[in-house]
Amino acid sequence: MRMMKLALMNFRSSFKNYLAVILSLAFTILVFLNFQNIVYSGIFDGLGGKNKEYIEIIIQVISFVLGCFMFFFLWYATNVFLTKRKKEIGIYIFMGLTNQKIGHLYMIETVMIGISAFLLGIGAGILTTQLFQMILLAISDITVEISFTVTGKPILITAAVYLMMYMIFAVKGYVNIVRSSVLEMVSASRQNEYVKQKSSVLIIKTILGVVVLGFGYYFAVKEGGQEVMGNVMAAVVLVVAGVYLLFGGLIPFFFQNLARRKLFLYKKERTLWMNQVIFRMKKNYRTYAMTCVLMICSVTALATGFAMKMRYDAIIHFRNTYTYQFMSSKEGLDGIIRPLIEKDNKIIYSGEISMLMLDDSIVDTRFNYGGYCVLPYSQLKELAERVGLEFDIREPEDDEIIKASHLYMLSLITDRSKETVAIDGKTYRQIEDTNIPYMGYFQEMMSFYVVNDKEYERLKPLGEEMRTYHYGIEDMYNFAASRDELDTLNDITEEKIARVIIDPNSSDLEWVKVLYTICIFMFMVFILASGSILFMKLYNDAFEEKERILVLRKLGVSGRTLKKSLSHELKTAYALPFLVMAVSSYFSVHALEKMMYQNLFVLYLASVGVIFAVFLLYYHCSVSVYVKNAKAE
Amino acid sequence: MNEKKVVEIKNLMKSYGTKGFSTKVLKGIDLEICRNDFIAIMGPSGSGKTTLLNILSTIDKPTQGTVLLDGKDITRASNKELSKIRRDKIGFIFQDYNLLDTMTLQDNIVLPLSLNGVPGKTCIKKADELCAMFGLKEHVKKYPYQLSGGQKQRGAACRAFITDPEIIFADEPTGALDSKSGKDLLECLKAANDSGRAAILMVTHDAFSASYAKDVYILSDGQMQCRLSKGSDRKEFYNRIVDMQSSMGGDFSCV
Repeated sequence: MRMMKLALMNFRSSFKNYLAVILSLAFTILVFLNFQNIVYSGIFDGLGGKNKEYIEIIIQVISFVLGCFMFFFLWYATNVFLTKRKKEIGIYIFMGLTNQKIGHLYMIETVMIGISAFLLGIGAGILTTQLFQMILLAISDITVEISFTVTGKPILITAAVYLMMYMIFAVKGYVNIVRSSVLEMVSASRQNEYVKQKSSVLIIKTILGVVVLGFGYYFAVKEGGQEVMGNVMAAVVLVVAGVYLLFGGLIPFFFQNLARRKLFLYKKERTLWMNQVIFRMKKNYRTYAMTCVLMICSVTALATGFAMKMRYDAIIHFRNTYTYQFMSSKEGLDGIIRPLIEKDNKIIYSGEISMLMLDDSIVDTRFNYGGYCVLPYSQLKELAERVGLEFDIREPEDDEIIKASHLYMLSLITDRSKETVAIDGKTYRQIEDTNIPYMGYFQEMMSFYVVNDKEYERLKPLGEEMRTYHYGIEDMYNFAASRDELDTLNDITEEKIARVIIDPNSSDLEWVKVLYTICIFMFMVFILASGSILFMKLYNDAFEEKERILVLRKLGVSGRTLKKSLSHELKTAYALPFLVMAVSSYFSVHALEKMMYQNLFVLYLASVGVIFAVFLLYYHCSVSVYVKNAKAE
Repeated sequence: MNEKKVVEIKNLMKSYGTKGFSTKVLKGIDLEICRNDFIAIMGPSGSGKTTLLNILSTIDKPTQGTVLLDGKDITRASNKELSKIRRDKIGFIFQDYNLLDTMTLQDNIVLPLSLNGVPGKTCIKKADELCAMFGLKEHVKKYPYQLSGGQKQRGAACRAFITDPEIIFADEPTGALDSKSGKDLLECLKAANDSGRAAILMVTHDAFSASYAKDVYILSDGQMQCRLSKGSDRKEFYNRIVDMQSSMGGDFSCV
């Protein structure tokens, strides 16, 4: 019981110091709980189709990622806490307490922190669930009724995951203390013997880091066919390893060499902060690397979300080019179809074109999609003009071909040069691949190739020629109105006419919008987390600096000079991971650009800008907290 | 003698506590320190040595009296002025060296000068000069953990001298050193003082250390009890200090 009292006293007296840890832990719990709540709230039940299934998979994957993140975050937070506490409560060893008792004391305090964070996180989590759902749906542009419901299951899952992980680390800390030597516990101000790192080790790490990172970047942007997936995986592993090596090698190497140039070093505060940076780098490089990797992930996640959304919008736009499309072996049906549509809808553009359907067996392409059709160049040009679609394709030569493909959500094939298509033994060189929806929804279902008129005539005997009719109407949301008239079409013509009616509300891709919103959230969560990790690390460092600062004060160094030097030091601590992130994520975003055919450069700049702003905020907080904790003023 | 006065202390008093319950630590101290002086202040624990040193080094303020440092009254100076005085006019040597463990010895020595904005070239030149004088030439690139206590303290002394201060305050500089290292340090300090680099005010318990000074003041119960001046022989001076100590009631270094 006395132990309990002592722990409680400690907890109360240093509550302020624990606040950073408690808040960060509570924040992770809040996020985790919110995501779990979405799974069990049933708000996506109404979306139908595969959407609900996909969204649940996405959220489960994200939960898993968040779970992993929580694990590492807890590990980190408890570790930071352990080192700090070990030295503070280690002093009890002089009062005759055994390691076990001190460990016990540590356990009680840790559990108190854990429970406080848990209660705070769950409480805030419950309060924010509805807000979170509302924001999620608003950004996703999905209309679903939501009500304030909190079920027990997500809370139970969150509690189980968090408490289990937390206990593991609390016990780990206990074991660590029990096994510590007396010296380790009490020598808080031990001299640092590892200020500078061995040059030879640094040089090896530097070379390795540059090579590994270089290969990582190379693989990320390398164009290719189906091997792209492998390249991307390799890039991820290489960049992560490269970033670690960079912070462990090149960056300290660079600073150490700068510090060796005394004429450069001896310039006001630089003498002080540069040496501090070198010293901190040795201790903190893993943290810098971790936050850097976390930020690269978050920028990539955001870019993925946005790219998906852009693709989604493009696909929807692509699909909605025409509302009604018909295909028949008979020509001249326009005169029959048009009046039927115009009974209820106003046609704003229309066009028709012949196409030649080829048997899959006589066509040979790199990926053999099937459903091959050939279009004549001049007819396509005419169609484009009539329906007002852009057309800047030159007429292909006899041995040339143009592909008219549809939009993919994501394509792993980034190298599209030197494609060839063989039709009935003749090989055509693919000179272009256009994404303009000349054939509307058909273009999604079949593979279209454009040849010149002469070739088209030559190929005619090889397949079945069909006439297609395409109509765009003024109010595409009124698509259903013409359905009953169009139902009579087959009877009027006594022909077999294939028909496609596009529903603009079709929602088989709704999940993309949810994914997009979740990506934005993940971005924010990871950015805040990286900022928090750096902040916590520096917060802790400040206490270690106290002694050094005191010496400098005694030497007559003014508070202003100290603050200046500290600012430079902290600036470097935030700037280095930021810069490495900015460069690395450029490559990851660039890789995404290639796979998703979207220009993401503006998004890249914006996300880097956001991170910069967040980091700037953290930096200013760090400076003021650091100055206060290290008593520099 | 027409020597430049560096420090002038007039009727310095310091008491702690609230009115009615105050304890007088310094009870009217008068002292003049000139540019060439090397003064040791001895006294039993609680005699006010540290308080005196703290006031002189601008860390503490007196209750009454004035302290003129290079003609300026530091008891009335603003914080900003004090910071400047500490930076430009005073050098410190502490018992526990207080070198920064994140820097090489050379960086440590140069630090106060470089923080003052002195160009790197001058910094290096001055540091080299001092290192040669204090026998540290081979150690400049080492970190504090690679140095012995004596080397560290000599490094700290170089750091104190590098800004060309008017006066060096040394608080038990040999307290953590073995006798050989202590002797080396004192020899160096003496040489630096003899060459006119700065006046030195050293607080010590140790009669041997004190015998390196030119004058020894014995502080007891908040007052200067007596002053001993060195003749030509250090050993004879040492004996006199020890005699004085015993006549004052025991070896206060053991208190």
